[in-house]
Amino acid sequence: MTTRLGILSFAHMHAFSYATCLKSLPGVELVGIADDDPSRAQKMAREFETSFFGSAEALLDEGLDGVIVCAENAKHRSLVELAAPRTAHILCEKPIATTIKGAQAMIDVCAAHGAKLQIAFPVRFAPPVQQLKQTLDGGALGRIYCVKTTNRGLLPGDWFTDSALAGGGAVMDHTVHVIDLLRWFWATEVTEVYAEIGYDLLHPGLGIDDAGLLSFTLATGVYGTLDTSWSRPESYPTWGDVKIEVVGEGGTARLDAFNQTISVASDETGRTRLIGWGSDMDLGLIRDFLEMIATGRDPSITGYDGLKALEVALGAYLSAGRGQPVPLPLEDEG
Amino acid sequence: MKRIGIVGTGTMGQWHAKRWKQLPVDLVGYYDLSPEATDNAVGQFGGSAFASLEALLSEVDVLDVCTPTPDHKVPVLMAASAGKDIVCEKPLARHLHDAVEIVAACKAAGVRLFVAQVVRFFRQFAQAKAVIDSGEIGRPGLLRSARGGSAPAAGRSWFAEFEKSGGAVMDLGVHDIDFARWCLGDVERVFARGLTFTGLRPDDHALVVLRFKNGAIGHIEASWAYPPGEFRTAFEIVGDRGIIEFDSGAPAPLSIRLRSTDTPHESSVAQILSPAAPWDDPYYLELEHFLSRLETGDRVLVSPRDGLEAVRIALAAIESMRTGKPIRLDGFSPTPA
Repeated sequence: MTTRLGILSFAHMHAFSYATCLKSLPGVELVGIADDDPSRAQKMAREFETSFFGSAEALLDEGLDGVIVCAENAKHRSLVELAAPRTAHILCEKPIATTIKGAQAMIDVCAAHGAKLQIAFPVRFAPPVQQLKQTLDGGALGRIYCVKTTNRGLLPGDWFTDSALAGGGAVMDHTVHVIDLLRWFWATEVTEVYAEIGYDLLHPGLGIDDAGLLSFTLATGVYGTLDTSWSRPESYPTWGDVKIEVVGEGGTARLDAFNQTISVASDETGRTRLIGWGSDMDLGLIRDFLEMIATGRDPSITGYDGLKALEVALGAYLSAGRGQPVPLPLEDEG
Repeated sequence: MKRIGIVGTGTMGQWHAKRWKQLPVDLVGYYDLSPEATDNAVGQFGGSAFASLEALLSEVDVLDVCTPTPDHKVPVLMAASAGKDIVCEKPLARHLHDAVEIVAACKAAGVRLFVAQVVRFFRQFAQAKAVIDSGEIGRPGLLRSARGGSAPAAGRSWFAEFEKSGGAVMDLGVHDIDFARWCLGDVERVFARGLTFTGLRPDDHALVVLRFKNGAIGHIEASWAYPPGEFRTAFEIVGDRGIIEFDSGAPAPLSIRLRSTDTPHESSVAQILSPAAPWDDPYYLELEHFLSRLETGDRVLVSPRDGLEAVRIALAAIESMRTGKPIRLDGFSPTPA
């Protein structure tokens, strides 16, 4: 039996990767693409040999088994609200939304219609990350003292630097991946966050935050930091990283999640770049989403997971504004 | 659904059986000289134990030959004359005349022969080949490659017997020889130095220098002389516009260091991990590749001639170590060993 899926918006470049994964898997049909930028959607529909739909509703009326939402952050909510009554499975790009209220509304509308909402945190599916999770679950590190993390990257540009669409800059873009991993590793929550945020610090004239250093505590007592900066220059050999260093009484674990690479230096391009050969984490995410559809089980990553990761990013902005640590959960949105 | 039989249920036979179980095939069963070994395979992977190779062949479409290197020829020839398609572990044969006979018999019988040169299915090696093909490093002129671990256990493993395995050059080096041919084409001549004729067995090691017909040069290290505990691969491919580098010993995605339980304040143990998703497993990918090509009739990534040439070059390297002379591949016929 064929699983029929659609993609709502190619605003986030991950849509390209997800579509590639869908095309590579047997028993999956990419029914179509809808987008509020018709020229982008038509181009992508040609690229992936599928149909272009003039509206999200028209695509959703095709009786899909599920949709993938890759719109700008601020548009996730309205698309999920359109999809929830019309399809049973929704995979939504991170961050879930730009406000707690928006995230909660998405969770509620899906619950009301019995639609399953999964948030796209693909890093959980990188095999080195899964191996670290196993090691931590095995308890070999004993009591955990602290965790030092980074999720740095190139300046993404486009709508990612438009606060109305993205809800923030580097801190909004890069807080949620690592926070999701830590919540998953230890089944815990962030209880307090402090942040130093740089605006136009690394990219003068950008008009939004481009660097962030978060210091936080987890309910388990573990303290940690997270660097969310768009701090990789264009000449850097790779796009960025996810690094997690755990120090515990039993030892240390150091994760550099994408450090399975070959290096290519070329006078043709004038640069040296690293090409990752590690397993495609997006394919892991898509297979997990398809397995949920096939088996009827609950999402492995829920809307609530998305909301709690978003809350840390919002808390970081609040903290930077106040110059003080902010306790979580947030009492009301700033 | 294709019916698969495996002959030889040692390490590689079990390795392959595990992957066949993940593919849409019927793993019918096994034949091995040791009944304990077949029973073990049946227990782990299902299927039946067969009392003879003839009996196994009569119930399969594909024979997967995972016997020791010198024992490839007999089952391959039997499978070919029974009209069965064949997967054969690398190296294709221990001796050149056996490899020639295998290739000729499969051709004459009109059966498919897939030599399991698995390195072509490792993602880092496959990506390097794709980068070369893209032109990003220009015309490749120099390839260095290394592969090594510790020696097989003498007296407990046929690998330790040079007459059977051909030593490090034949057993390990054949991977890099095939990769180098894949990237740079046929070889003109070979020169090698190593431990093979120094009596140090089972420790074995060789440094092989190659000249390719297109003018490129190559260097291959094959080692069974490293201390236990690390298996390392590395390569570097230099073109006139760039370079590709890989080293499995470079910092890995996950390193774990645990305090030792006895002396937690004096010592610790390190673990370096570089895991992959199950669907990227190169042994799975090579068998899936052969299976899909059987269905479509398209060419496989490793031709019988590729398997044969890799054996010829490895034997030339051994001959060079024995004689101290460079060996030209054209007209090379190794001293019968």
